[in-house]
Amino acid sequence: MSTSKSGKASSTLADLSSQLAAAVETAGNSIVAIHARRRIPSSGIVWRDGMVVSASHTVKMDEKVPVTLPGGESTVGTVIGRDSATDLVALRIDGAKAYVAAKAETDALKVGSLVLAVGRPGRDVAASFGIISAIGKGWRTWQGARIDRVFRLDLAVYDGFSGGPLVDASGAVLGVNNSALARGTPMTLPALAVDRVLDELIERGHVRRPFVGVAAQPVALAASLVKQHELSDDAALLIVSVADGSPAESAGIFVGDVLLEANGKSLSRPTDLLDALASVPGGEQLRLKVLRGGAVKSVSVTPSDRGARQ
Amino acid sequence: MSTSMLGSARAMSSNLNGLSEMLRRTVVEVRSGASGSGTGIIWGGAGLVVTNAHCVPRGAALEVGGDGKWREAATLAYHPQHDLALLAAPSASGPLLETRDPESLRAGELVFAYGHPLGVHDSLAMGVLHAVTREERTNRVRWIIADVRLAPGNSGGPLVDAEGRLVGINSMVVNGLGVAVPANLVQRFVERALSQRAA
Repeated sequence: MSTSKSGKASSTLADLSSQLAAAVETAGNSIVAIHARRRIPSSGIVWRDGMVVSASHTVKMDEKVPVTLPGGESTVGTVIGRDSATDLVALRIDGAKAYVAAKAETDALKVGSLVLAVGRPGRDVAASFGIISAIGKGWRTWQGARIDRVFRLDLAVYDGFSGGPLVDASGAVLGVNNSALARGTPMTLPALAVDRVLDELIERGHVRRPFVGVAAQPVALAASLVKQHELSDDAALLIVSVADGSPAESAGIFVGDVLLEANGKSLSRPTDLLDALASVPGGEQLRLKVLRGGAVKSVSVTPSDRGARQ
Repeated sequence: MSTSMLGSARAMSSNLNGLSEMLRRTVVEVRSGASGSGTGIIWGGAGLVVTNAHCVPRGAALEVGGDGKWREAATLAYHPQHDLALLAAPSASGPLLETRDPESLRAGELVFAYGHPLGVHDSLAMGVLHAVTREERTNRVRWIIADVRLAPGNSGGPLVDAEGRLVGINSMVVNGLGVAVPANLVQRFVERALSQRAA
């Protein structure tokens, strides 16, 4: 590399350059093009044997989805499940077995790490380059899915890159890029979260999202109430609506009830209720402590699975 | 951070300094009356400058500048389909640029754009090769697409690889991506233009 005829050999730069190109080539071997929307194809990653993940908003059909494999062969895939909260879709593609992507260890990733976004917005693979600009902890998508770590990128995610991977300098996959999840800001769903969602999609075709059917807003309780009922703090949630036919309605929860605790944990923000719901195993009950008409009552609700209705 | 990592960051930084110094001696600024300015590449060592056709409107008086001095230049040939123009600029001289075969380009490799974006002189921008587009009929590389930040004023300037070889001439920005004319088309254009004049 350092012996170019021009004599302007710059070995470090040239080495980095060929390393990046090799990383794109490696990653490209497990990236497919998915032709399931108008205008431009999107990208998908061969995540496991015969199993491709992509961004759900870019795959607008479920059966006989046209796919171009890394080698250029055309085939079709079948959607086996979607999760709107993380905007992931899983497709079964027979014949895609040879190209399963290598996943990178994301724990070592830091702000400033060199990364590449790779896509296949057509026949050939395409790339963009930058760094991790921030690592967010405990982020919640606008549809309510909680993601432990998200990568904010100082790089451009171009048309057709959604559903494609963010890779490290060796070409190993760090996560799935998506430009729709954070309403236009490109971000990456880490590989661990993708694995978790994919497990559920393979098992039941959707991701379980426990649902009780209430809307709530934070309220501050009067000091006298806190004292009278020996509460730990004055923050609580006021129920402002109860959905028709919902588990909350069946359990006898009314508009105007004030939620104090769920499964023994105090509630001060609406997201606390979502966290409490997420911790309830399928089919089990959520025990709520409710303030109604000046008296504290216990109500049990069995959450339904909202994911199944999608 | 280990010392070897710091060392390679420093080495890379000094590689970049060397690259930008080499490119500074290779480019000129091209100015044509009212239409603002672009960048040009000194071709073949001396006397010739290649730039974008859209930087040098037909019939306009031209000047090329470097190191604060402006000198007259004249258009020798145009290729509007490839957005190329060849200028005679007797005063211009600089190092020879090696060209890069577009068939050997790999997505993800480092590329550098040099020029005068938005009137800011001698700016170096780093990015990676995004993709190449091909002509449907011949399957030859038609445009080089780079993930590199360009602005008006970069037009006509060089896109080079990590070893300073000419990859293409920056022509436009489409959807935020830099679009360049491949170096082999530039070379062919210059050769044809010169042989036609000689005949």
